[in-house]
Amino acid sequence: MNRLAPWARGGHAPHEYPPSRDQQPLLVVDDLHTAFLTSRGRLSAVDGVSFTLEPGQTLGVVGESGSGKTVLARTIMGLLPRDGVEQSGSVVFEGHEIVGASPKALRPLWGARMSMVFQDPMTSLNPVMRIGRQITEPLRLHLGLDRAEAKATAISLLNQVGIPSPEERVAAYPGQLSGGMRQRVMIAIALACAPRLLLADEPTTGLDVTVQAQILDLLATLQDERNMAMILVTHDLGVVATRTDEIIVMYAGHVVERAPTPALFESMAMPYTEALLASTPRLAHPSHTRLTAIEGRPPDLVSPPPGCPFAPRCRYARDLCQRARPPLVAAEDPSHLYACWFPLGGRQGPPPPSGLDAADLSLNGSSPDNDPSPVGRSRS
Amino acid sequence: MSTAESLPVPTLEAPAAGEWPGALLSVRDLRVDFRRGHQVVQAVAGVSFDVHHGETLGLVGESGCGKSTTGRAIVQVERPTAGSVVLDGVDLTSLGRDALREARVGVQMIFQDPISSLNPRRRVRDIVAEPIDIWRRASGEERARLVSAMLDAVGLDPAVAGGRRPREFSGGQCQRISIARALVMEPRLLVCDEVVSALDVSVQAQILNLLEDLKARYGLSLLFIAHDLAVVKNVSDRVAVMYLGVLCEVAPSDTLYSAPAHHYTKALMASAVEPDPSARHRPAASLQGEPPSPINPPSGCRFRTRCPRAEARCAAEVPVMREIAPRHTVACHFPLVGPTAPEPSIPDPLAPTPGPGA
Repeated sequence: MNRLAPWARGGHAPHEYPPSRDQQPLLVVDDLHTAFLTSRGRLSAVDGVSFTLEPGQTLGVVGESGSGKTVLARTIMGLLPRDGVEQSGSVVFEGHEIVGASPKALRPLWGARMSMVFQDPMTSLNPVMRIGRQITEPLRLHLGLDRAEAKATAISLLNQVGIPSPEERVAAYPGQLSGGMRQRVMIAIALACAPRLLLADEPTTGLDVTVQAQILDLLATLQDERNMAMILVTHDLGVVATRTDEIIVMYAGHVVERAPTPALFESMAMPYTEALLASTPRLAHPSHTRLTAIEGRPPDLVSPPPGCPFAPRCRYARDLCQRARPPLVAAEDPSHLYACWFPLGGRQGPPPPSGLDAADLSLNGSSPDNDPSPVGRSRS
Repeated sequence: MSTAESLPVPTLEAPAAGEWPGALLSVRDLRVDFRRGHQVVQAVAGVSFDVHHGETLGLVGESGCGKSTTGRAIVQVERPTAGSVVLDGVDLTSLGRDALREARVGVQMIFQDPISSLNPRRRVRDIVAEPIDIWRRASGEERARLVSAMLDAVGLDPAVAGGRRPREFSGGQCQRISIARALVMEPRLLVCDEVVSALDVSVQAQILNLLEDLKARYGLSLLFIAHDLAVVKNVSDRVAVMYLGVLCEVAPSDTLYSAPAHHYTKALMASAVEPDPSARHRPAASLQGEPPSPINPPSGCRFRTRCPRAEARCAAEVPVMREIAPRHTVACHFPLVGPTAPEPSIPDPLAPTPGPGA
């Protein structure tokens, strides 16, 4: 009988990782900055992001394209090239500093302790390598399994991710599988060595709703079984609403709101989060419900505006918003952070920086364009 | 047929439910087969529906169900294998090349990828004017006036946008340009194939609102093909659900979502994610597995292999579309709403006892 990787026998939580974290979070991201040096200038893609993640927890990262959510995920993994990229701050994963570490130092972590599922399973899989081999590669490298053990483990993994007749599928090439099946193979590869942290970057974008539900259920089940932490990066508030413990909303490289998932949806503080939700069509709403679109586009990150990055598109924006960037602060609930001078729900905003007077805070400030009414502007 | 001089004017308000003034488009028994070696793939296997004047009909289903092929067959980009596509009383499938070109002016299509559907080397004003040039509808100042009016209608500033090229625009703006190009010939019917799937939610909302506005302004009818149930519900008056080349259910949007009759419709909706933490997802209700191959579809009801309610009759007998409520039709022997289908009127020669008559 073939031996399996120890954890694969019971399909259960991995063996030899002791609860190494004695009160230490699994992942600590502190004041992380990532910028690209482009021909047009320095493009700040991630600008001062901090959070911690405990084992077994799921963090959702939500934002539009260009908000920096994918760059954040890649920075945490240490996947960005060094040339033309500036990084500062720190990412500590299981006691290892990721920022500034060499690929050689990170290689033992990749796949084994932290791994990633990418959006596009077609371009992330090797098209000329059988999928069995793509799964056994990390098993043999990191866990030192022999050929037969690795193959048996691969079959067990394909079975766990819901691929029918896995004994035959190990010999298939990616092109012979449907999009949903390819994404399952990606997940099997990512989970092969029982990592402690999984980064899933838009794992279901472009898939059918039925397949999306299957993949998200699968991730949740495997995560439960293995007490694995997950960062779920998506543009879809629907994907994170029922499947995360905490959500970070990103805009123009900044965290603009961060809260436990129920709190975020019950009492959002940041107008951007509200606008994102209002522009999402809902099954619960009658047909022909007018959507509240967010006019305009996110700012150019090479020359961002001096104030709040969302101010040019914000319907509540006042003079102060254009002039000073609001810090990320907590309200009465210390776990609910937001970066807004005039938060929603009657909350108190942070005190304005010195030098800006109280007139900037008043509703009838100097800006001619302050319409605090929540009614959307008409559009053509 | 209207001339180039007459700019489109508001003609039709969407009528209240139940009083549609008649069908603009009638699709009957539409079939599209693709040959693959010596095998035949039935991409569309007998689909019938109407799109009424001023109506938006949504068409949803999983990838590979044939919804895009249906759209392409209506525009005659894909010539149907069998069946008819009647637009304004003219059967497009019976037309020769020149007559078809003429008739196609009345039905336009926009696609999923807005950037690759625009010629990158041409200026926006020439892209939008291309149909006018091809049909020699206008030239000089009149052409410029038509293009400007159209760009303005889709929310682009003609003075700024007209001289630029597609790469200078975002995805949402390119989709606006595609819409302007499709509408410049004043079509009666616009076929939208996954037109917002590639866009961010904030931009998606802009385009959906724009389509609603243009529909009201120009009295357009829309066939809106998409996989996102919430998007389809938002823009559609009625929704048709497609599975493996056939229609399962057609109903007014709100009815379909509040009281689905087909088991597939219900399963699709159970799979949809909602931005609401209290809407706890129930894994048991969502659909497992993937659709079977259209090369060798299941006998009887095509959904039976994944259906929780399936029994022997579903394998033996193809369910026919029947009306279970006004404007609500379903192809299922044992629907969730309405009566069980009557026994077949044609006796099955293999059955031990002959079925009752009609």
